[in-house]
Amino acid sequence: MLDPLPQESWSRRTATHLLQRAGFGGTPEEQEAFYQLGKEQGIEAAVDSLLEASEDWSSLSWPEWMQSEVDPNGETYANQGIRRRDFIQWYFKVLMQGQPLAAKLLKFFIDHFAVDSATVGQYFRWIGMFRYTEMLRKHAAGNVAGEDAPFEGDERLVPPGHYGNFKTLVNHVSWSLGMIRTLDLAQSRRGNVNENFGRELLELFAMGIGSEYSDDPEYTEEDVAVVADAFTGRKYYGFRYFPDENRYNNPAGDQNPPLPPASVYQLRGQQDRSTKGPFYGYTKTPNGNPIINGDDVIDIIFDTDRCAKHLSWKLWRYFASPNPSKELVQALAYKFRDEHDYEIRPFLRDLFLSEEFYEDSVVSTQIKDAGDYFVCLAKQLGVPLPTRDAMEDVMQQLGYEVIFPPSIAGWPEPDGPGNTWLATGAMVFRMNMPSIFTHHNYAVFTSGRTRNSMDEFPEADWNVIAPIELRRKEQFPLLLEQLKKRFMPSRELRKSQVRTLFDHYSSVSEELGELEGVRELVRLILALPEYQTQ
Amino acid sequence: MNTKLNRRDFVSKSIWGATASMTLPGFLQQTLFNLDARAQSLPSQGGEGPIILLMEMAGGNDTLNTLIPYTNSIYRGARPTIRLGTEHNILQITDKDGPSVTGSNEPLALHPNLSNFKQMWDNGELGIINGVGYPNPNLSHFKSFDYWHSAEPNGMPKDGWIGRYLDNQCDGCGATTGIYINRRPTFAFKSDATSSPTVTFQSPQFFNWRDQQGLGRERSLEGLYRNLIGLDHGADDGISGYDDTLAYVQRSAHSAMISTESVQHAMDRGGELLNPSWPNNGLANSLKTIAQLINGQSETSVYYARQGGYDTHNNQILTGDPLTGRHSDLMQTLNGALGAFVDEMKAQGNWERVVILTFSEFGRKVIENGSLGTDHGAAETLFVMGGRVAGNQYYGLYPDLAADARVSRNSMDFNVDFRTVYRSILEKWMGVPASAMPAIFPSPPVDFTPLDIINPI
Repeated sequence: MLDPLPQESWSRRTATHLLQRAGFGGTPEEQEAFYQLGKEQGIEAAVDSLLEASEDWSSLSWPEWMQSEVDPNGETYANQGIRRRDFIQWYFKVLMQGQPLAAKLLKFFIDHFAVDSATVGQYFRWIGMFRYTEMLRKHAAGNVAGEDAPFEGDERLVPPGHYGNFKTLVNHVSWSLGMIRTLDLAQSRRGNVNENFGRELLELFAMGIGSEYSDDPEYTEEDVAVVADAFTGRKYYGFRYFPDENRYNNPAGDQNPPLPPASVYQLRGQQDRSTKGPFYGYTKTPNGNPIINGDDVIDIIFDTDRCAKHLSWKLWRYFASPNPSKELVQALAYKFRDEHDYEIRPFLRDLFLSEEFYEDSVVSTQIKDAGDYFVCLAKQLGVPLPTRDAMEDVMQQLGYEVIFPPSIAGWPEPDGPGNTWLATGAMVFRMNMPSIFTHHNYAVFTSGRTRNSMDEFPEADWNVIAPIELRRKEQFPLLLEQLKKRFMPSRELRKSQVRTLFDHYSSVSEELGELEGVRELVRLILALPEYQTQ
Repeated sequence: MNTKLNRRDFVSKSIWGATASMTLPGFLQQTLFNLDARAQSLPSQGGEGPIILLMEMAGGNDTLNTLIPYTNSIYRGARPTIRLGTEHNILQITDKDGPSVTGSNEPLALHPNLSNFKQMWDNGELGIINGVGYPNPNLSHFKSFDYWHSAEPNGMPKDGWIGRYLDNQCDGCGATTGIYINRRPTFAFKSDATSSPTVTFQSPQFFNWRDQQGLGRERSLEGLYRNLIGLDHGADDGISGYDDTLAYVQRSAHSAMISTESVQHAMDRGGELLNPSWPNNGLANSLKTIAQLINGQSETSVYYARQGGYDTHNNQILTGDPLTGRHSDLMQTLNGALGAFVDEMKAQGNWERVVILTFSEFGRKVIENGSLGTDHGAAETLFVMGGRVAGNQYYGLYPDLAADARVSRNSMDFNVDFRTVYRSILEKWMGVPASAMPAIFPSPPVDFTPLDIINPI
């Protein structure tokens, strides 16, 4: 299992598949160049080119109001809507402009570690939200030079580790304002435990439940209680109520450094020294230490087969296909935990090189999730993001509101037939939506709101998308071929569809000119069911 | 070129054309027959049968603070800061105490914000089902909802109970037999069949085909789409025979195309609502859409609405005032929205056609958690309401709150299996024969005797 794909199996089909899944696809020229790279320098070189961490951190700075340590509006809840839309805009800018695999992973983390709007509100909490997302982004990008340290808070509290490692990531999440607020950790005290975080750490973030991918024993309700108890006393600091310096742990003795705003800390005395457990059959951590606090629990969790399998299964589902066999999950888990010690990119390298990743049951069998759908669409058309106001409405219609996840389990996964992304309403919207870009038809998604004006929105470069020399009726097959390569490279159209598209293109072109014909044609292609898969 | 076919054109050019139907694969005939032919026969058959409205309270409703055992010393002791009592204007149910597992009756009261519930109880339109759950309760939101949606607790659910009900009882139903007002589908509607006659959308105004406004043309996008997805081709069904994922999306497009027409038709016909005073919130808007569809005689038997936010691990109440806080707000929203809906149904003359069932994925623990909230629990109380509901009655028994009677670390134990509640509604209200139950509930509970929750005519 997981043998490398033989070089002779490299083809335009496999190249396009890999580009699509490890990123957001590419223009016809990029697809061809990527295929040639793998052909001339080998598949490994092609895969490695996708793994290169080349995030341009400077070009994706936070909105201006976030640059200050003090609320420009005076510590109020004012401008929530603007802040929310700025955040959404920033997030999608990162998806659009970031290194594609990093963007794809960030999208995975945003879903895997979903935080909800309870996180935001006052200014410092917005800082916490941006820091949280930035932390996820750094893990998605892999090792970040010079920043191989924890984040937001008293860093000495967080166990050592570095970006791009799933175990470190879970540790960072457990020490983040975002998650401390979303899952009520801040209110979990010794003797008065709130078990929200403990339960979801096990179920959602690390070990999972059920026997779909693993026959390993499940954790028990008693285990949930042990975990919840081990995570008590994690707090965050807002502006107004500076924590009593005697109340947080300060390993540096009497030199209490002031906490930066929105940082997290451990309440002194809450993290008692008593041994807890057993947890999941463990009475000690894998290093032989007693189980005392949450960090120890995370050490144990990542030692278990169930955790290695759960995370491998989830990553396979996200990047490859919905129903991997238990054998495949087992093989993936071995690589992830035992060979790569939960390093994400080396694991993904094995995944992208594996024969299994290119099987027929994987290629073209994913329904695009809302993020894939939107980012692919904008990239294929070569257009920028709409205004932040329009973005918010679009993402709402697509069912992907970034700080309003449908549940703390995040959004549905891209899991093929039975896919829960395609509510009937979402399908209707996906068929309607492309006209926003082709015709600036923002009536598609507004109800008399003027804030979504697309008046200033630039035209797609139609000369690149549909070269003028291909626009004559007689050239239609070539024109269609060109558009297919750009928009749905792995799909064929049926004869009846080609016929309808041709009829419509001819009549609109004759009546209103070839450019209008092209816009019409593109819009219709983008509305096809075939466009929803990748 | 006229791409917009009228119905006669459509019928003659699609499955009813003799040549076409002989060449069509069987599954497609069924799909198109079910979805399109019947949808197009609306509304002649619509708008008369019984209706279920499933009211999902997502997050795990704290039913101990919804239907309150206000004199129970265990309740009061387990919840020193969040308990509700007579000093909080709870709505005491004075005419009847609730039968309890302990053998003695439990004096009960509704949350102070549930005034419309109380009114319905007094009118005999609200029944209360206590102690509802299932064996070996799972305290995960997601697992437990899978169980409630599939009616297959502790199994590996593949489809939903409404999906199976419609598969079994609804051959040839219209495309909008089940409607969920939400952005994402519910597992309860999931069907094993290639296509399910259910749709999910949030806002009817966007559930429509937007034409090319401002371009000065009259071409209908809808007609073009129909054509491109294969709905109007005799020889090309538009459904892939070899690619399951693609076939799934293609069927979704078909369903979207057909159901938008039914929904828009019913919305137009439904017109203005008769109750002028609706609250303005998400749940009320969902119920408004449903009310309008009912008024417009939509051919829909199962409506589904959702209110989220019940995962009250913290700030369930605010310090010092148990009538503020998250749970109290939720109760108020629920009460206001359902109250407006019921008034609307009465004004429409449809109240006798509707049965509403509230449910949550679990109740919450007996003891509070120290964050002015409660953690995940097990058994819960359900409410069933409607013009024909045998109301002003308790079903099931109030759980024993004593520590040694609790399950799953301080959760209430069940005595009525939720599958029995589902069955009761299907059998007593929708008229599903008992013989169909094994197909709809492949894993029935030990005691599967339906409750008499509907008044005979």
